[in-house]
Formats: sequence, structure tokens, C-alpha cells
Amino acid sequence: MTDLTVRGACRTFAGEHAALKGADLDLQPGQVTALLGPSGSGKSTLLRAIAGLEQLDIGEIRFGDTVWSEAGTHLPPEQRKVGLVFQDYALFPHMNALDNVAFGLTGSDRKAQAMVQLGAAELGDKARKFPHELSGGEQQRVALARALAPKPQVMLLDEPFSGLDRRLRSAVRARTVAALKRAGAAALIVTHDAEEALDVADTLALMLDGVIVQTGTPEDVWFKPVSAAAARLVGDANVLSGEVEAGRVETPFGALACQDIEPGKPVDVIIRPAGLIAVDGETFEVVESRYAGAERQLSLKAADGALWYANAPAASALRAGDRTGLELDTAFTHIVANRS
Amino acid sequence: MSSGRTVKATARPALTPFAVLAALVCAAPILAVAWIALSGGASDYLLHLAETRLPVYLLTSAQVGLIAAAGAGVIGTGLGWLIARCTFPGRDILSWVLVLPLAMPAYVAAYAWLDLSQAGGPLDVATAGLFPTIRGAWGAGLMFALVLYPYVYLLARDAFAAQSADAVQAARTLGASPLTAFRRVALPMARPAIAAGLALVIMESLADYGTVSHLGAPTLSIGLIRAWSGAGSLLDAARLSLVLVLIALFIFSLERAQRQRARTSAASGRHRPATRLQLTGWTGMGALTLCALPLLLGLVIPLARLGWRALNAAYTPDVMEAAANSLFLAGTSALIAAGLGLLTAYALRTRGRIATGAARLAGLGYAVPGAVAAVGVLAILSGIQGWLDPLWRGMTGEVFPILLTGGAGALIFAYLSRFAAAAIGPAETALGRVTPTLDGAARTLGATGWTLLRRVHWPLIASGVAAAGLLVFVEVLKELPATMILRPFNFDTLAVTAHNFASDERLGEAALPSLAITLTALLPMALVARYLSQDAKSGERDD
Repeated sequence: MTDLTVRGACRTFAGEHAALKGADLDLQPGQVTALLGPSGSGKSTLLRAIAGLEQLDIGEIRFGDTVWSEAGTHLPPEQRKVGLVFQDYALFPHMNALDNVAFGLTGSDRKAQAMVQLGAAELGDKARKFPHELSGGEQQRVALARALAPKPQVMLLDEPFSGLDRRLRSAVRARTVAALKRAGAAALIVTHDAEEALDVADTLALMLDGVIVQTGTPEDVWFKPVSAAAARLVGDANVLSGEVEAGRVETPFGALACQDIEPGKPVDVIIRPAGLIAVDGETFEVVESRYAGAERQLSLKAADGALWYANAPAASALRAGDRTGLELDTAFTHIVANRS
Repeated sequence: MSSGRTVKATARPALTPFAVLAALVCAAPILAVAWIALSGGASDYLLHLAETRLPVYLLTSAQVGLIAAAGAGVIGTGLGWLIARCTFPGRDILSWVLVLPLAMPAYVAAYAWLDLSQAGGPLDVATAGLFPTIRGAWGAGLMFALVLYPYVYLLARDAFAAQSADAVQAARTLGASPLTAFRRVALPMARPAIAAGLALVIMESLADYGTVSHLGAPTLSIGLIRAWSGAGSLLDAARLSLVLVLIALFIFSLERAQRQRARTSAASGRHRPATRLQLTGWTGMGALTLCALPLLLGLVIPLARLGWRALNAAYTPDVMEAAANSLFLAGTSALIAAGLGLLTAYALRTRGRIATGAARLAGLGYAVPGAVAAVGVLAILSGIQGWLDPLWRGMTGEVFPILLTGGAGALIFAYLSRFAAAAIGPAETALGRVTPTLDGAARTLGATGWTLLRRVHWPLIASGVAAAGLLVFVEVLKELPATMILRPFNFDTLAVTAHNFASDERLGEAALPSLAITLTALLPMALVARYLSQDAKSGERDD
């Protein structure tokens, strides 16, 4: 099995597409990589560049020893044999489900092969249905089956769950990841939904403004983000600017040890709301108390006017206007140098 | 505080009667034709016809229709794709200029091309007889392809432009080359639109009289006019009309079957506009040439030839009077059709069952060839005549004068029954932009009744209604067979004048009225073309 590597991918546009400004990415067979970024960060452009639908200005995309994209080289998409699932699925409206899946197959048994794929997607009984006769979830499964049918070694999925009903999503996600694992392809799922990215990823890559800023396991990225912006991308975060003094950074919750950053340097202390626990006290005023199912999400104002986000158990009686104290769980804190 | 009166949220003039009126105007002639055709026994003429000429009429009609469809299909689809999916020098202007050949009546193109290509004509002389003479079924089909391709072009262009780029790109990632992706995905997705355009092309070819009579391609229309003007038999004309209508309905049902599947071409989810292919240098010039070719052949060369002939012919003063008649008929029909179309569209908005049914019935009018509409109007008028005549005679001792005085009115009746449908569609589309929420917003801001119509509705629908009127104006200006059947004695239009001169082999004299029709039709056609190309323009995105 072969790796796909992207090195220094650059692409600028006159129009609406987001630019790439030197993106690096590795995809391994059998692994699902989630590419998370806000809209306009260039994540779809990167996916389209890997598929061969966009050319690179600078940089290269290789599959093993084969160069796919390089300055002056551009292998057309039909020769890359990647599987691509579009955000709107892009099912061929004039073909039924079976013909859609059989599109990329050749040989006399292509219909039979397509039928096997549809069967694996539990859509055997919908083979003769046209796309508009299928539900959103079924369309997504046909699109996935169509992309998987030619047995591609690289699978690319562009916001594949965004068109689905929220209640359907986690089930469809689990099914999709299982299908990708079965196929053993190197898979890339592009998304702007942090929860989704954390859920599906073996490896999580964060993209900001055309650059991959961090790659790692979902836990690594969530607990040890490389910057305040990266932290906010994967979940809510309190960010406190400070300075390292004698291996410590002062916070309203006490000093935190910080050995690996030079003294005198500006730092950002990142504290996840889960790391701030409401305790008896009067230091903070509750500005907002939102009930969010398993927990209560609190916005609190400190004496100096700073706003803090914290979580409390669902049963908590704290409401706007109440006063409380906060205690820090250092497992949910992370200190990064502020380079800006 | 209270103003003393309440404004009903649903207050709306009762418009359903207008839809019913439109339906009656459009459907009455065809119903009359069917009524007459199905009553009475087989006349000798009809039996004779069935044995001798009918097979030829049918065969020629099929030939002409198929050649026209093939030609217009290739030209219209090709140009539609080029304009929708590529950028090249002149593309933005060509986008609407390519619609202009619709201003050229096929018979005018036929006059010019036969004149150029017949033995002794300039093309024949220049090529030492190698250039084929444009005549017969082939020639007529070719003429129709050259002036009617814009129907296919417009629909194909918008279909290609509306296709999400994702479908073609999905095909590419599944291993299809650009050409394969076009053949297997882009083209089939545009097929319902192309089929709708082809149905219009075939219908117009079958409805034509001037072209096929000049080029000697005896289609059903020719048989129909001969039955009426030669044999003077309303019954036989009605029976041939019924055959023509059945063919028309068959073609439109085929098209409708395609459109049923067109629901399938509405892509799922969001729409990503395609990036246009940049054609520069030689390929750009090639695209420009491909676009210029049909314009040259369908519009510029025939106009130039007829202009030259007109300059070298004696001036015929009758042309002025014919022009006045043409403008009067076309203008009146256009105004009434636009009004009727608008009122019907408003009636449709109430979603009443009667209004909807009536509007759909009125829409059938477009499937009725002009000659058939004329025969139907004749049948209705002679029915009224036969019914009122004894009464009138009893009172005044004279013949009831409806056929004499009703002349221009009867013509307009026939035009409306054929073209009012063409005005309902655009009016409905335009009114579709005035959503109920827009009405609601205006009402909450205090605009009701006429204020609402004037400040909100009219600005949104005016251009659509105007386009509908202009389209009917052009169609009536070009119309020949219905005019020939129904025109009052000594009442000539430009089209009839041109046809009469041309059939007397006096092409020099035919040139001036022909030019007058085409040049008069060009400006309104340009406005319509600009209007129809607006949406494609505002939706466009380069890169």
C-alpha cells in the first residue's frame, strides 16, 4: 500500500475559491484523516487539487512514486483513480442508482459488481430508483458506493454529511467510516464541523488560511492545540494572554507551570470550559446559563470584566445573576507561545 | 384609529374569467376543426387525396421535420454548449446575437438561397454548377435549421449553464475523459431541454407554408391550403388540419415524456457553477467562427442578397399599405396577447382549479399550426353565419355580414389562438418572481391594491410581459398561412405580398417586403434576446 503526500501546495485564484498557501498533508492507507477548517480556509481546494480538479501553482502531490501534481505536471483526474464524494453527492440525475454506481466500472460484469456495492450499502432494493426518488441518506450511500466501486486507493469526501438531517448524521458517519475501513483506502474527509472531525478521524488535520497548522490524533489536537486559533477550531476555549516568569504563568486560578517556553515570552493559556468547575465562592458573576442536554454552559464575568466559559452539571442551580467561584482542572489547560 | 374599512389579505380581482377567455380563444378553433372534421362522410376529394397525395404529404413532412430537427439540433446544442461553458472573444455579445435568426422568416431565407443557388444564380456560376440548388425537402429542412436553431440554442444554453459542475467532475474522477464526460453526463442531462427545443423546431417546420411552397416540398400544410384555396372545401381542410394537429400532439407528448424525466435532471443539493473553459488564440478564433457561421448563413447572407435585389427592382407602392396592415395586426395582437397572458398568469396565481385547467388548455394553442387555427376560425365564423343568417335575412333581406366585416378581427382571433400561449408562459415566469412573501412584506409596509401592483409587481414583471408581447409581435409579423386563409379581400400584409411576388417568380419585388419584415422584426427580437440572456448573464461566473 502506498501513501499520498502533499508538499507545499500553493494555488491562488482570482475568484471565489479559497487559496492554498503551502499546505502539507499525508494520507495513509486504511486511515481516515479529517481535514477541519472554517469555510474559506482552502480545505475544499486542497481536496480538489488532490482529485486533479484544480492545478497547483507550486508544490507537489505524489502517490507513492508517482507524481500527480507538480509545477508543469498535472495528471488529469480520470487517470488518478481517486474516489470522490461531493457535498451535494453529484449523482447523475439521468441514471438510476445502479447505473450511477456502475459508471466508473468497466467490463461485462460491471452491473453485477455495482450490484454487489449497492448490496453492501444495503441499497439492493433501490437499484432501479433514480436519485430524486431516494432520501438524502440513501443518496449519500449511493454516492459513496459509486466512489468506492472502482476500488480507488485514495478516497476523498467533501463535507459528505452536511446535507443530512442532524439525527441521521452520527449513524451515517459510523456507516461511512466502516465502509472506508473495509475498502482499506487512504481516506480524507473535509469538514467544518469539529464534533464530526473528532468523531471520524484517525488523524486530524487543522487548516487555517490555506495552511495545515496542526496534524495529530484527535486527542492530541484537542488537548494540545498549537495556537489559540487551532484550539478554537476544535472546540470552545478560554484564551488568556500572559507572560512566562520563572517557569510559571499567572492566571486568576493560580500560577501554571511552564518549563518549555523561554521566560519573558508572551504566551496564550488555553483553558477548555470543561476545565473550569463551579465551586462555592463569590468571585464570578453568571452572565448566561444555557442548558445543553448533559451539561449547563456558563458565561461568567470576572471582577476585571473578563468573560470566562465554564461547564456545570445539568442539575446545577446556577442562573444569570448568581455569583460563584471557579476551580481549574489543569488537565484541560495548555500553554502555547503567542507568535502573533 | 379605525379607518372604517377592512382590507382583506386575499383581496384580489376575480381573474379566473380571463383565464377561461384565454382558454376559449386558444381552444375554440381547434375544437371547431375537430367538430367539423369528424362530422359528415368521406368526400370524394378526401378519398382521392388519401389515394394520391396524402402519402407524399406525410413523407415530405417527415423528411422536412427530421432534417430541420437534425440541423437545428446540432447547431443549437453545439452553440449552446460553447456559449454556456466557454469564454472566447465576442462570447458575451454572441450569447444574445445568436438568437436573432428567429427574426428571419424561413421563407425569406428560402427566397434568398434559392435565388443564389439556382441555375444561373451567383453561387451556381461561381462554382461552375457544383453548389447544389437549395430546394425540395432537403433545402426546406436546411432553411428551417438555419432560422429555427435558436429555439434549441436558448434551451440548451440555459440547460448547460444550469448544470452543476460537480456532475461532470464526478464523471472525471470515475475515469471518464472530458469527451466521455460530455457524452455520458452533460449531454444526457441537457436532453430534456434539447428535446423541447426540437419539438418547437419540428412544429414550426410543419406549420410553415411559404418556405415549402417556394422550394417545392409538398408538406401537409401545402395540402391543407390547396384543399381550402383550390378546392374550397372547409371539410377537407379541417380533416387535413386534424391530421396535422394529431402529429403535433404526438410530437409534444413525446417531448412531455422526456420532460417527465427532466425532473430527474434537477441536480440534488447545492449548485456549483461551472468554470468556463478559456479559449484563446486559435481555439478562440475557431469558436468565434463556429458561432459566426449560422449567423452568416441564416441572417447576413440572405439579407444581403435580398437587399441587393431590392435595390435593383422597381419600387412597388403597395408595400407601404401592406406594411401598415402588418404593423396594425402585429401590434394589436401583441398588446392583446400580452394583456391576456398577464391576466391569465394572475388568475393562475390564485391556484383555482378552473383557472389552472383553463391556462393549460390555452397553452395547447402553441401546438396548433397557423393554418389550422385559421381553418378553425373559419369554421366558427361560418357556423355563426349559418346560425344568424336566416334571422338577419328575415329582418334585412341581406346576407349576414360577419365574414365580410369580421376580417381583421378574425385574423387577430386566429393569431391569438396560436400565440397567446406564447405570452402566458413568460408572464407566468415573470410573475413567479413576485413571491407571496413579497406581497406580505409590501402589505405590512402599507402598500395595498394599486400601490402594491404599481410599486412592487409591475417593476418585477414589466420586462417579462414586454418580452412576451414583442415575441408575439415578431411571430405575427412573420405569419403567412393563417393570413392567407383568413385575410379579407384586398387586405395584404407584408408576408402575403412577399409570398405573392415570390410565387410569381418576381423576386425583385418580393425582396422589399421580405426585407421589411426581417428588419422590423430584428429590433424587437434583439430586445427579447437580451431579455432571455439576462439570467444566464447574472448567473455567470468566470473562474
